[in-house]
Amino acid sequence: MSNIAAAAPSASRGSSYALQQLARAFNANATSWIGLVTFLVVVALALLAPVISPYDPLNQDILARLQGPSMSHWFGTDSYGRDILSRLLWGARLSLVISTVSILAAMVIGGIIGILAGYIGGRFDMVVMQVMDVLLSFPSLIMGLMVVAMLGANMGNLMIAIALTAIAPFARIARAPTILVKERDYIEACRALGYSDLRIMTVHILPNIVAEILVMGSLWLATAIRIEASLSFIGLGVRPPTATWGGMIREGFENILDSASLSIFPSLAILLVVFSLNMLGDGLRDAIDPKLRGGE
Amino acid sequence: MSTEGRGQGAAPASLDTPILSVENLVTEFRTGGGWYPAVRDVSFTVQHNETLAIVGESGCGKSVTALSIMGLVPPGNGRISGGHIRFAERDLVALDEEEMRKIRGDRISMIFQEPMTSLNPVLTVGFQVAEALCYHRDMDRREASAAALDLLEQVKIPSARQRFADYPHQFSGGMRQRVMIAMALACRPELLLADEPTTALDVTIQAQVLSLLAELKATYGMAMIFITHNLGVVASIADRVAAMYAGEIVEIAPVNQLFARPAHPYTELLLRSIPRVDRDTGNLSVIAGQVPALGAMPTGCRFAPRCPLREAVCTLRDPPLVALADAPDHHVRCWLRAPPVGGGHD
Repeated sequence: MSNIAAAAPSASRGSSYALQQLARAFNANATSWIGLVTFLVVVALALLAPVISPYDPLNQDILARLQGPSMSHWFGTDSYGRDILSRLLWGARLSLVISTVSILAAMVIGGIIGILAGYIGGRFDMVVMQVMDVLLSFPSLIMGLMVVAMLGANMGNLMIAIALTAIAPFARIARAPTILVKERDYIEACRALGYSDLRIMTVHILPNIVAEILVMGSLWLATAIRIEASLSFIGLGVRPPTATWGGMIREGFENILDSASLSIFPSLAILLVVFSLNMLGDGLRDAIDPKLRGGE
Repeated sequence: MSTEGRGQGAAPASLDTPILSVENLVTEFRTGGGWYPAVRDVSFTVQHNETLAIVGESGCGKSVTALSIMGLVPPGNGRISGGHIRFAERDLVALDEEEMRKIRGDRISMIFQEPMTSLNPVLTVGFQVAEALCYHRDMDRREASAAALDLLEQVKIPSARQRFADYPHQFSGGMRQRVMIAMALACRPELLLADEPTTALDVTIQAQVLSLLAELKATYGMAMIFITHNLGVVASIADRVAAMYAGEIVEIAPVNQLFARPAHPYTELLLRSIPRVDRDTGNLSVIAGQVPALGAMPTGCRFAPRCPLREAVCTLRDPPLVALADAPDHHVRCWLRAPPVGGGHD
């Protein structure tokens, strides 16, 4: 009996199988490893920003403004003499928090909408997915502009704006496999066992589709970082003097003739993160597609 | 939901009344623009501890009858448009989905034909068996897991303890069907519907699963409706047999009676088309023609177009299901073999 009690926790984790499969697919693909390691390094640097950043990101040193890279300022300084490396590290925290929170929110909301639409089907599905199509028809930047213009530019609204643009794609990615899975014999067997629709959706359908949603999530994380930077660049992101990558590029853009490093380094940072997340997501998707389809 | 107040022998008087009685059931499906009955005027009873086999060709309404009892006729395309399904003094047709859900999996369970696809591939076998107990019995995970292990041992999964946390793809078809049986029996149902549970299995595994079902039925004291197109299986497991043709029951009789003295021409032909090793007739007989389509049912007896005994009356009027004069528990739907008492067929 004690044996069984020990076995029970592992048996109760419905999504563990999906995650095992994800891990196996992952191992088979070198690019996803490179992507993951790069991204984790960026995350680690962002987390360690208070410890490792050489200067206070807000500390101005007007005498040392617009300097190029040197031993004292590795990436140079901006127009107020602030250390670019320190601002990059602190800006990474902000970018990652904004993108992660907004994508998590979009993943949960979009996932719920997609599963419901796919499971219920019929007219509900039609209406909901048409609303999603309308959302999808706005370019993400335009959507961000509208939300920020209506609600005001701050971190919370930025997250709302990004989440709103990402909900529709997540709803679609969750709906398609739900429609496939709900026709399976084991869902009919669940009905014959008297399970409620809610239980069927959460315990029996979700673990079957969670891997695809996660893959989508890694790809959209990159998009979210891009949108955040774009909105900050056009001045609709987090207000200065808070360090954000988009805001730094904006400043660099204004001073491009005096100091190229001011815009180059934040641009490279965005490039690195977006690239690593895309490699991660692409690798996962390529590896997981045939297995998920043929695995049943 | 309370667990007391139910179970066999709770009320001795109820043992005489059937556990399930289906009365004039009509289940229709929508094809094209109209509704057509896939099951028409089906009536039968199942007693406590009894096994009723429903036999017939594909598309004769066997599975639809089972789905109707479970309340799983797909809404939108299908509906129960008439009749009653009385189970434990309640009419299941009148119950709403919520009440029906409490009965499904708890008091009436079902085993499906396809064991390979009837288990969720991403959940462990142990979890899936325990789940029914958590859901209907409000057990916590630990109790349910212990009970699930017990069930897996009862359905004779070898080294069940080690395999508890395995996934369905690590099991063979026969083993998966055993897991399905364990799931269906988890809440000790009073009635088990088995929809061709052995059709997808190898013959040797079939025999094992059949004897397991018979054994469990005896230990649990439940009633069973066993749906199959395999008459050989029927002989070994059923107490009574109902033969269905084109959505109607054409003959219903105790199993020995039906095999010894089939009265409906369809049943007779069906029995003659089983290969037998103890007879050296060279050719198996074949029933000419095919089951009429849902939208193109003939008037009169539905079997008439294929019937070798056909007479004028057969194509004019529907024959009723009546008891044979010398065998009151043997009912037949045929003008010639079982003419209704009092009313001739002219």
